[in-house]
Amino acid sequence: MTPAFTREGWKVLRGAWIGLAGAIVAAILIVSGSHWYGVKERRDSAEAGRRLQEARAKVEGARRERDNLNESADVFRMLVDRGLLQREQRLDLVEMVNGLRSRYQLFGLDYEIAPQRPLPLPGGRVFPSIDVLASRVKLHAKALHEGDILGFMDELSKQRQGFHPVDECTMRRIAGAGDGRLQAHVEADCTLEWITLKDKGANRAG
Amino acid sequence: MLRHFLYLTNSRLVSMVTRGKHIAMRREFAASSAGAAQFDQHLASLAGAPVYLFTDLAEEDFRLDTVPHVGARDREAIMGRKLVQMFRNTPFRHAVVQGREAEGRRDDRVFYTAITNPEVLRPWLEAIERRHAPLAGIYSAAVFSSVMLDELDLLFPHTLLVTFTPGGAMRQTYFRNREIKFSRLTPIDPEEGQSLGTLISEETTRTWQYLDSLRHFAEEDRLEVCVMLHPTDRAVVQPALRDFAQIQHHILDIEQVAAKLGLRPAPLGSTCEEIFVHLFLLRPGQNHFASPEMRRFDTLRRAKAGILSFAGAAVLASLGWGAWNLQQALQKSDVDQRVAQQIQTLNGEYDAITRSLPSFGVGGSTMRDAVSFYNASIRGFPQVTDFAVALSGVLARHPGVRLAQLAWIATDDANATPVLRKVASSEGMPVTATGTPVAPVKAADAAAQGTFSSGRYEVAVIEGTVRVPINDFRGALDAVGRLASDLSAMPGTSAAIVESPLDLRTSAQIHGRHEGAEPDTMEPRFVLRVIRDHRAET
Repeated sequence: MTPAFTREGWKVLRGAWIGLAGAIVAAILIVSGSHWYGVKERRDSAEAGRRLQEARAKVEGARRERDNLNESADVFRMLVDRGLLQREQRLDLVEMVNGLRSRYQLFGLDYEIAPQRPLPLPGGRVFPSIDVLASRVKLHAKALHEGDILGFMDELSKQRQGFHPVDECTMRRIAGAGDGRLQAHVEADCTLEWITLKDKGANRAG
Repeated sequence: MLRHFLYLTNSRLVSMVTRGKHIAMRREFAASSAGAAQFDQHLASLAGAPVYLFTDLAEEDFRLDTVPHVGARDREAIMGRKLVQMFRNTPFRHAVVQGREAEGRRDDRVFYTAITNPEVLRPWLEAIERRHAPLAGIYSAAVFSSVMLDELDLLFPHTLLVTFTPGGAMRQTYFRNREIKFSRLTPIDPEEGQSLGTLISEETTRTWQYLDSLRHFAEEDRLEVCVMLHPTDRAVVQPALRDFAQIQHHILDIEQVAAKLGLRPAPLGSTCEEIFVHLFLLRPGQNHFASPEMRRFDTLRRAKAGILSFAGAAVLASLGWGAWNLQQALQKSDVDQRVAQQIQTLNGEYDAITRSLPSFGVGGSTMRDAVSFYNASIRGFPQVTDFAVALSGVLARHPGVRLAQLAWIATDDANATPVLRKVASSEGMPVTATGTPVAPVKAADAAAQGTFSSGRYEVAVIEGTVRVPINDFRGALDAVGRLASDLSAMPGTSAAIVESPLDLRTSAQIHGRHEGAEPDTMEPRFVLRVIRDHRAET
């Protein structure tokens, strides 16, 4: 039997065995502690890297947005000036149409303004921040000369307030209008969309 | 590390403590009860240092024998029995296998040695045992001296190594081909008028005679006697040494030997215990005489050292690993700090950009969407007045054409055609045709569904009449064809005749009526379809 495992051996080596046990425990603690710290640092580092990427992307997005907005600012200012983001002022439209009728001396003017609706766009396109609304306006006008009708339509579509793109228009001569009396020679049926935009954010806030 | 070497002779015990490769302390004790008591005290001051005991005693016996060549375990058993048979009264015995016989059964040649009087060792070993001093081994100086031959390059076939021991004795050890064969210890007790040199010469000659009687030498063999001496003794010894044909003397200057082995300082006398200690430090030998029981404290010491070394190694390895891991982590930490600074800088830049953004009381995305919608759907939307102006410009070059009706749509469908209500009349025409129109009228699908188009196409249907001389249908067809051609010359525009002044298709039916006086001119009706593509235009 080796002396290390006798009673005397145990007595002599007791301190060494305790030291070894302590050393093993210390080694385990050191290894596991440093491993834990290393893993934590690696995790923190990965997290920091991710946050850095996010921050870079955020700044890059902000730069792009700034560039886009700088380019768009003039256009947007014009849109704001023309009341694109305001609610429909139907009375203004009525007054404007009446005013134009007088200016262009239309013999007759009938119009209908349909209820406002969300305007379907080609391909079902929608915008995340705005709602596109429109009221369909149908006009029936009679005039002495087609130039009056064209002038009326041109001025209507170029009004400084609102956007009124005409997408259908039919002009025709009125049959039997050549007897010399002052009467309408031309009539027109036109349809336009009165477009306004609504800020979805304002909608939510409201 | 401290080591405690003991060199035991019949008259004294020399204690040498080494630190590293140097002898740090030396003491001598008389081989008496008083000396043993002093040694006991001395040992107490060296607790824990391993003890190496060299014996150089007159009671050492050496024998040669052969045993059958068998397996290692059997050989051990045979040698063990032989040792017991030869040296019955002592536990201090040792056997060395030196090779095999050249002839016959080729038995194993074995060299046996023992300290035949264990009482010589007893007081010293008792002290060692009592002090729990770790006895690493008991070594025969004579057997161990073979190492000296190797280190000093004494490569003779027959060598007699003569050394001097503390206490005035001379050890003669005979080696054949560097294998120990015999050794004897002679007290240095010169007779009156006999010098040390004469004594050595006479003793070595006597030894040669003894060895020769044992037939160790052939006729031409010569015994090389190597005497280790201090320079002070050399002067008196060397003149007395006479060489013969059978005996050749060599003086080993102990200072030169010490220098060769790296022992500093060199021994002050001719005794060679310090040389042995240094040789042992250079080439540790195996234990000869100590039993495992005697060596148990050294076994435990080595076990303790091993355990503590392992523990230390474990802690060091873990510390190393931890330090490496920590260094990696700290590097990452440095990187993290730089990243944090970068993030802070980027956040500051983001805030600055955000503050510098143009604001109209709405979010940036609202602005972007509004502008995007405007650019895509309104900015390039065609206007009927523009189309009418362009049409008027063309019609001005065709004075015979009179426009009766214009139906116009803005659409994304190139095939869409606005609906036309017939206004102009072909009544009164001498010749008319009836048939299906060339292009069937198709309603604007998207408009019908209420979808707001981007206005890529402007599609117009023009109804009119062309004034030509009566019955000049060819001229009417040409005039309408030229009109269509001129309209097609406008950028991005193409015009097609939907209804011609006279439908000449074979599928159509033609009616003619000529009676009475006819007017000078006629105004046949036509319909054109005009499409203007704004992308082709750009």
